[in-house]
Amino acid sequence: MHIEAQERDDVLLRRSAKGDEEAFTQLYRRNQAQIYRFALRMTGQPWAAEEIVQDVFMTLVREPKKYDPARGPLGAFLYGIARNRVMKHLERQPREFSLELKDDEGETKILEAVDDRTPAQWAELRERRERVRSAVLSLPPEFRETVVLCELEEMSYEEAARALECPVGTVRSRLHRGRALLLAKLEMLRESPRRANAGR
Amino acid sequence: MNCEEFANSGLDGIVHGVGQNFDAAREHLRTCPHCASLYESWQGLTEGLRELGQATAGASAPPRVEMRLRQEFRTIHKTGKNRERAILAGWLLAAATLILVAGSMFFWRQQHGFDTAKRNPAPNSAVQTVANGPELGGTLIAESDGEQFALIPGAIPALQDETSVVRVQMQRGSLGALGLTVNEEHANDLVQVDLLVGADGQPQGYRLPESNN
Repeated sequence: MHIEAQERDDVLLRRSAKGDEEAFTQLYRRNQAQIYRFALRMTGQPWAAEEIVQDVFMTLVREPKKYDPARGPLGAFLYGIARNRVMKHLERQPREFSLELKDDEGETKILEAVDDRTPAQWAELRERRERVRSAVLSLPPEFRETVVLCELEEMSYEEAARALECPVGTVRSRLHRGRALLLAKLEMLRESPRRANAGR
Repeated sequence: MNCEEFANSGLDGIVHGVGQNFDAAREHLRTCPHCASLYESWQGLTEGLRELGQATAGASAPPRVEMRLRQEFRTIHKTGKNRERAILAGWLLAAATLILVAGSMFFWRQQHGFDTAKRNPAPNSAVQTVANGPELGGTLIAESDGEQFALIPGAIPALQDETSVVRVQMQRGSLGALGLTVNEEHANDLVQVDLLVGADGQPQGYRLPESNN
């Protein structure tokens, strides 16, 4: 069955609910990356992000009627499910997260664009990125998700508010507070190696 | 603008280059080394977040997730279709069973009713009972036997081939309806009567077997 590129999500979902596998695949491919990135940035664990994506789309397969197009776009609905799964995951494992992205073979995954930086600059960049990632993952969940959506996903305040089901003002204040916490955390992380080096 | 105001509203605006207090915030930044340091950290954080965002911007779920989901999708929808078929088949089977049982009961009752009537003919069944046909209360003796029958008053004699003889048991008093004189003392006695029944089921004649005489 041919599917128009611009076919609306709710139309695809209706077809998927009737057993149209291609419609479901189209829906999945259209939405999986943003859900995966959100889950990955929230949990810091590729395997957890993978599980969360699977859970989210299984919900869509099993209970397609849960989605009401009148309440907003499918993407926001999927974010809602993903948020619940992420929160459950964080409740189960509040302190376990890796600081690196690992690929299927357990190797550190480098998602970097090729440019003309020197190896030293790369090393510095990687170190700074790891510090930021570590600081983001240490934020309380409500601040973390706001930072992830607004800073990493580059959503507008309005889009983030829809995804988080809260007022725009709440997003704004959480983001401000989250950034302040991040700064404090980064200062701590920056100080730690210095202290460690001074102690040697 | 003081340091607190700068931290609360000016900083965010100056980083993103927006906000009502943008000029005031820039002015405060020039005069306050503490806030300048804060601003520098804030900028560093923004840069760090942007880099982190870019580093994971191309991340997406591995292909195995799609494969697993499609497999699940097929299983669920196949199971659903099978379940629908099983439910339909169940209903059809139940309906067929019901029809079979109802049909069997109908035929059994017909057969049973016929046998019961043969075994226990109603004592009061007179001409009207017999008139409904031999299967309702009498014993069919012969398809056609027109000899020695007295015609019932008002009956139109049919061709001999179309008549049959039915033996019934009735009260002697009922014979009055056939035009016979009945002794009142024996009116309740049961007697056997052969009725000559036409093709239309109406009795046309009668005779009393010798045993009753």
